[in-house]
Amino acid sequence: VYQVFENVAKKYDVMNDSMTLGIHRVWKDILIHKMNPCPGTLLLDVAGGTGDIAFRFINYVRSVRQRQLQRKLKHHQNLSWQEIFESYQKDQFNSLGDSQVVVCDINKEMLKVGKQKAQHLGYSEGLSWVLGNAEELPFDDDKFDVYTIAFGIRNVTRIDLALQEAYRVLKPGGRFLCLEFSHVSNPLLSRLYDLYSFQVIPVLGEVIAGDWRSYQYLVESIRQFPPQEELKAMIEDAGFFRVDYENLNFGIVAIHSGFKL
Amino acid sequence: VKCQHYPPVRALQASAALRRASDEHKKEPLTSSSQQHFDSPPASHQPEQEPQGPHPSYTGQGGQESEDYESEEQLQHRILTAALEFVPEHGWTAEAIAEGAKTLGLSVAAAGMFHSDGSELILHFVSECNTKLSKLLEKEQKLVQLGEAEKKPIDEFLRDAVEARLRMLIPYIEKWPQALSVLLLPRNIPSSLNLLTSMIDDIWHYAGDQSTDFNWYTRRAVLTGIYNTTELVMMQDSSPGFEDTWRFLGNRVADAMTMSNTASQVQSTGEAVVQGLMGAAVTVSNAETSRAVR
Repeated sequence: VYQVFENVAKKYDVMNDSMTLGIHRVWKDILIHKMNPCPGTLLLDVAGGTGDIAFRFINYVRSVRQRQLQRKLKHHQNLSWQEIFESYQKDQFNSLGDSQVVVCDINKEMLKVGKQKAQHLGYSEGLSWVLGNAEELPFDDDKFDVYTIAFGIRNVTRIDLALQEAYRVLKPGGRFLCLEFSHVSNPLLSRLYDLYSFQVIPVLGEVIAGDWRSYQYLVESIRQFPPQEELKAMIEDAGFFRVDYENLNFGIVAIHSGFKL
Repeated sequence: VKCQHYPPVRALQASAALRRASDEHKKEPLTSSSQQHFDSPPASHQPEQEPQGPHPSYTGQGGQESEDYESEEQLQHRILTAALEFVPEHGWTAEAIAEGAKTLGLSVAAAGMFHSDGSELILHFVSECNTKLSKLLEKEQKLVQLGEAEKKPIDEFLRDAVEARLRMLIPYIEKWPQALSVLLLPRNIPSSLNLLTSMIDDIWHYAGDQSTDFNWYTRRAVLTGIYNTTELVMMQDSSPGFEDTWRFLGNRVADAMTMSNTASQVQSTGEAVVQGLMGAAVTVSNAETSRAVR
């Protein structure tokens, strides 16, 4: 698995766009909307190498924070100009409201690409990059508010261990969110999807990234991944409550959610 | 390793028991789960929701969180109650719920359990208010039964009950219009309507209404109308202590009483008219027959 991603790191984003025809952006947006984080949330994004989820999280929290500040200002109708100025200054430096993202990935190359992207796009505060294995996270218990793993859990050899680690590092009340390729139940769509996956994607891999085998591996690993209900059962086994999934695009992708209660 | 051997669809009780037990206990429920699986195939089609009611508590083990001793529903209840405190500041939103969860020591992500528009919070609040009203009316009824208080005439009773219920909105009055609009969302209408009708029912019950005829409907409809219009007036009332609203309420209740009197008057007048016509008809027919005889 490590070597697959070593090859893939630099072209990861480009391949994502071409394979999914850009829809992966929408899927990730939906994930963040479902999370609906408020300022002050501590997010752990596992297998989040190039930082897609992290950046979206920061954008979302920033806009929520903006609205909060605007509302506060509206209430300050009766204060003197001096007081308004002071409170505005104080809040202005806290544009993220103490929210933070820790991006954890097993692969150094992916993290490097992610850091470069962050610099390029201008994300400076609230981000940390940590090298780590999902089956054995280098964090203490009860630390994070939300744990996400987007398109990463199928690459984990022991999914149950990863789920147990997720349970461990989450605070009580914390949320587990998993975005992953899943099973399409509609038979017609399933045939079309299979056709596309096995014929088109490896070819794209060869053309764009010069690596046909990695993408063949990718498509096969998607097929071997447990379907929605089974993954839900595994999440419940790890101790999560209110486990639930939402199919996107008829099951091509599913978002699983659970709470540590 | 263990989870790969579980059948993909499992009975609810097993999964709940497994979650509750510590590692040593895991083997016990496993055998009972396979039994339940064979005994009740329909159980496998149940929606995956936590069973209502408290979980079995295992003393000693698994005592890390107090949730071991309460059900999910109870926890949600506690979060929503805690969230009410933050409503004046944040409105009926997921943010208020997140702040409420924080005060209970939970992560702010727990607000993700509820809808982002705050529907559950509002419904919870309305249901709590209705319960408070019931308790209040019950207490008053007991006092009357014990002879410690006078039985109120019906218009005064209705007026006091509606006023007491509306006063519960006062701490949240600024954000209440927002709440009303959320309650009118199609998704929420069944629940909000249910809560409203049961509240009105309660008030009439304690008012001593025992009608079983058409009056039952008219009384409910009239009181619902009075309650809703007074609530709307309250939203726009800026008089001290909401005196304008209470005056409006008093007038509406008085109108309703007059209307019912008028209705019964109309009814008796109608009866009188009918009797008069019958008498006239009889007289005329008698006169005809007597003339015919002559």
